[in-house]
Amino acid sequence: MEKKIGVYICEGCDIGENLDMAKLQEIATKEYKVPVVKTHRAFCSSDGVDLIKKDIQEDGVNTIVVAACSHRIFYDVFDFGADTITERVNLREQVVWSHPVPKEAESSGESSGGGEEGEAATGVDEDTQMLAEDYIRMGIVKVQKKETPVPYQSEDEFVNNIMVIGGGFTGMTAALEAAETGYPVTIVERQKELGGFAKKIRQQLPMKTPFNTLEEPTIQGLIDKVSNHDNITIKTNIEIARISGAPGQFLVSFKEPGSKTEWDVPPKLEEGEEACGTTDAKDASGDAVEPAADQVNCADILSVDPDAEKFGAVVVAAGWRPYEPSEEEFKHLGLGKFKNVVTNVQFEEMAAKGRIEAKSVAFIQSPGRESDDSDFPYCSSVTSLVSLKQAQYVTRDNPGGKAYVFYQHMRTPGLYENFYKAAQQNDAVFLTKGAVTSVGASGDDDQLLVSVDNTLLGESIKVSVDMVVLATGMVPSTQFEPVINLAYRQGPEFKDLELFSGYCDSNFICFPYETRRTGIYAAGCVRQTMTMAECVEDATGAALKAIQCLESSNRGMAVHPRSGDVSYPEFFFQRCTQCKRCTEECPFGALDDDEKGTPKPNITRCRRCGTCMGACPERIVSFKDYSIDMIGSMVKAIEVPEEDEEKYRVLCLVCENDAYPAIDMAGMKGLKYSADVRFIQVRCLGSVNVVWIADALASGFDGVMLIGCRYGDDYQCHFTKGSELCNRRMDNVGETLQRLALESERVQQIQLSIDEYDKIPEEINKFMEVIDSVGFNPMKGF
Amino acid sequence: MANANLIQPDLDFVKELTVEGGGGESLKKCFQCATCSVVCNVTHTDRPFPRKEMVWAQWGLKDKLLGDPDVWLCHQCSDCTAYCPRGAKPGEVLGAIRKISIQNNSWPSAIGKLVASPSGLIPLLMVPIFIFGAVILGLGRLNHLEGPIVYEKLVPIPAVDAIFMTAALFAALSFFTGIKKFWKAMLDATGRESVRGSVVPAIIAALSEIIAHKRFDKCEVTSARASAHKLVFWGFAGLAVTTTWALVYLYGFHLESPYSLINPMKWLAFASMCSLLYGIYKVVSNRKDNAEKAGEGSYFDWLFIWLVVLVGATGAMSWGIRLLGIAPLAYLTYFTHLVLVFSLFAYAPFSKMAHMVYRTTAMVFAHHVDMEK
Repeated sequence: MEKKIGVYICEGCDIGENLDMAKLQEIATKEYKVPVVKTHRAFCSSDGVDLIKKDIQEDGVNTIVVAACSHRIFYDVFDFGADTITERVNLREQVVWSHPVPKEAESSGESSGGGEEGEAATGVDEDTQMLAEDYIRMGIVKVQKKETPVPYQSEDEFVNNIMVIGGGFTGMTAALEAAETGYPVTIVERQKELGGFAKKIRQQLPMKTPFNTLEEPTIQGLIDKVSNHDNITIKTNIEIARISGAPGQFLVSFKEPGSKTEWDVPPKLEEGEEACGTTDAKDASGDAVEPAADQVNCADILSVDPDAEKFGAVVVAAGWRPYEPSEEEFKHLGLGKFKNVVTNVQFEEMAAKGRIEAKSVAFIQSPGRESDDSDFPYCSSVTSLVSLKQAQYVTRDNPGGKAYVFYQHMRTPGLYENFYKAAQQNDAVFLTKGAVTSVGASGDDDQLLVSVDNTLLGESIKVSVDMVVLATGMVPSTQFEPVINLAYRQGPEFKDLELFSGYCDSNFICFPYETRRTGIYAAGCVRQTMTMAECVEDATGAALKAIQCLESSNRGMAVHPRSGDVSYPEFFFQRCTQCKRCTEECPFGALDDDEKGTPKPNITRCRRCGTCMGACPERIVSFKDYSIDMIGSMVKAIEVPEEDEEKYRVLCLVCENDAYPAIDMAGMKGLKYSADVRFIQVRCLGSVNVVWIADALASGFDGVMLIGCRYGDDYQCHFTKGSELCNRRMDNVGETLQRLALESERVQQIQLSIDEYDKIPEEINKFMEVIDSVGFNPMKGF
Repeated sequence: MANANLIQPDLDFVKELTVEGGGGESLKKCFQCATCSVVCNVTHTDRPFPRKEMVWAQWGLKDKLLGDPDVWLCHQCSDCTAYCPRGAKPGEVLGAIRKISIQNNSWPSAIGKLVASPSGLIPLLMVPIFIFGAVILGLGRLNHLEGPIVYEKLVPIPAVDAIFMTAALFAALSFFTGIKKFWKAMLDATGRESVRGSVVPAIIAALSEIIAHKRFDKCEVTSARASAHKLVFWGFAGLAVTTTWALVYLYGFHLESPYSLINPMKWLAFASMCSLLYGIYKVVSNRKDNAEKAGEGSYFDWLFIWLVVLVGATGAMSWGIRLLGIAPLAYLTYFTHLVLVFSLFAYAPFSKMAHMVYRTTAMVFAHHVDMEK
């Protein structure tokens, strides 16, 4: 496509009054020879838009730069269709609203308001003007380098069926929800029959308003519905050997539970363990890891099982397992010592079988004695609610029966407070906070003596009971096994499970169902302990996410969080050195390298963060509309003042997810900061290639700031690892700086979340002070 | 001492409170936030009530509650009930505990059960009706009622006095056993054998507090109750003085009733009657006004209130109708008055009337414990 560029500089929203518009136009016309350059008092008005549209239709303009407000505003107004490339230059939030304009500029601006071009505004702030000019340059260069992305097409067929792992309450609900919308679903259950734990209980916690009465189990109805549904296939007594492929085209190999097959997924190969060896010799002397005997025969992850079944997306509803205390763990509570000390799961099974014989039962929520008020491991509101439920069994089965509940925390969130109130109303349920110090023999019969300190009764008490029930927790299945058995080079399991105590990872606030494996969505207790009512909501959410995935993958679109993005990474393999950095760093395991180490991209797994682009030392990864060259050229387009001008220049690469909107907000609030800083928006700090930083410093920039999301245990990165990886790459920058004999302070990464817009001036000014203390970049002019 | 703190909840006690009409129906709603103890103006600060009483009651710890002076230090201002975020109505619950405490301490307990239940009302009233009826019929007084209305004609004063003396003796005996039992329970609950030193200073402190209504005056939500209670209290006190005065006239000076309207004793009687009637009217109207915040009150409460109302009303009417000269109605009213006064005094140890004794005892105990420190 022959590009014909049009630059449209808006005068509205204080821009025209505070900037020298004539000079801005000259940048486009003189420096870049742009054929069409226009101004208007408000391009967002219908007049303004029509002006641009007229140029497109009559003048053949197809590449548009709108220099006005932030691209986060009026994106629909300035959408000129897929045949044009449109770029926005942010002259409002990031220039005139956030930088000083002299008083006289305002008055002269008003007087010259009616005049058109040619009238040079007097009193324009020099630095602010330079900033605007640089942004015009960068915008023009950006569209010059940008290409229109073409959606990814695959030779393999995309399918639209969903596999649900787990035939319990959540799994069946997810299957039913998806099937009801018309998508074929297969439920995979390891046990011989559907139902999971919900089938083993006597009564279930309330599922409907006002959430105050126990309900008869509804699981059988669900099993019947699922079993008779035309869109649902059920596979029981079966296990997943491996899932290979990518969203829209997953290939699933099944096997008998517990058996070993050729298609079992091999474990992740560690460094030094590989057949072909790598140049990395860090671990060369390390202990030779002996491959487990039963894994030797596993086919490599890239081999294709001809018998595998094809699925478009996966919902993981693998549920939970009861916490298994070790023998010594709760010895002070008599577990393992007295036969009438049981766990809540054991008690539920007893209750499901028949009448509870014990006339008095103590329910213990917290094992911590006095020293520690923690509950049992993996406890939650569910275990609190279950204790209240089981207490009702005792008093219903035994007139005159008594149920004691000893807790450190009674968690009954939201409407479950109604259930607490109802449970409490039972005369024979005795509740108190307290530290249970011991459970011992009472002396007579099988009675147990429970000792509790620090109770609400104002003293230490002892009660004599027939039975003790410990509210042990619910451990997610992913704590014990990978469940999904992915044939991915990064390994068969979800990543970073240890950060979440084994719960299937997700950014629980923004994206609860997305795991770090695109196309695989978690629901129910595998992701977070929850009640059945909550599981319904969760299962529905995950089913809808799976459908979104199917309907995005087949259109060549990113699913999340850049939903609808049709660009994707392309690799110029001739220059690949097989360093595998992209394979290893991709937060989503989108790349599988072959035996040589050449990455094989799986585009539908990709979330388009560009981490591979940032990782590649050979710079062979690029997107049609986002590339090393594009950002590199934008950096070069910035005019770096000569040393004698005594002006600093700082490049600031900002994450589009949190930092960029925060900077816009700072502008909207009128917060002011240095005009020596040039922002460039990046998809994620993970996509920042060190070469941009090195080039900037080599061409005289005095410093480089990187503003991205929080990383670490409580990361907020939309791509999970981007900001963390960027931080790690700064080590490499350190070497570059040394080579250039520059101070390491010149490059800094800042963690910022979207609500911290008020910190922007402070952070920038702090960095400018640092630059001031180290002085001008000595490389200027070289 | 392995089982020193062994707790054995008394489920029947819990049910007695929470059963419909038990007065503590809202008990189990308490979730122990302690707002009640914070807003209470009459609680002491070292072991404040009523939060702890609420959890003891939920746990059926009857012995603890029966030996707890705090249950009686509560004046049911209902500040706690008004501020309770869960609608647990601690004021009402403590009232219900006091009812059980009265029943439990008073002797013989069978009468206590009758007083506490609406079905016991008729049998209880039959006792004075039968006694006075027997006297009237036995002495054939109905045939000698001609002429000016003189109540002496219906029942001879010595007979009235003899019956009331007996009733008072019975009440006093019952109260005595009740106080003894209550005192012992309070000693047990605090792990004491006996109190050290003389209780006289504590008694003086308690009585001066009661006469001035010092505690009652601290109520906020139902602040008007203190003045209403003062009127009733002073009304009763005045009537007690009047009665004594009349006894002196009769047995000391052999002056027969009715007395002249200019007799100062009449003035005192009239003033006391007005105080009692207006006071009890305020009690009723306050209760109605505060019902939303403080609760409706139980049968046990209302039985006592209506008894006082009727005693006052029939007393006033006996006088008024006598002056109007409507003989049959006057005698009938007087008869009713005698029956009601008998009920008020004979059943005092079992009705809410007993609060004057138990609350005083609890205050004496509390003052004494404070003074021991």
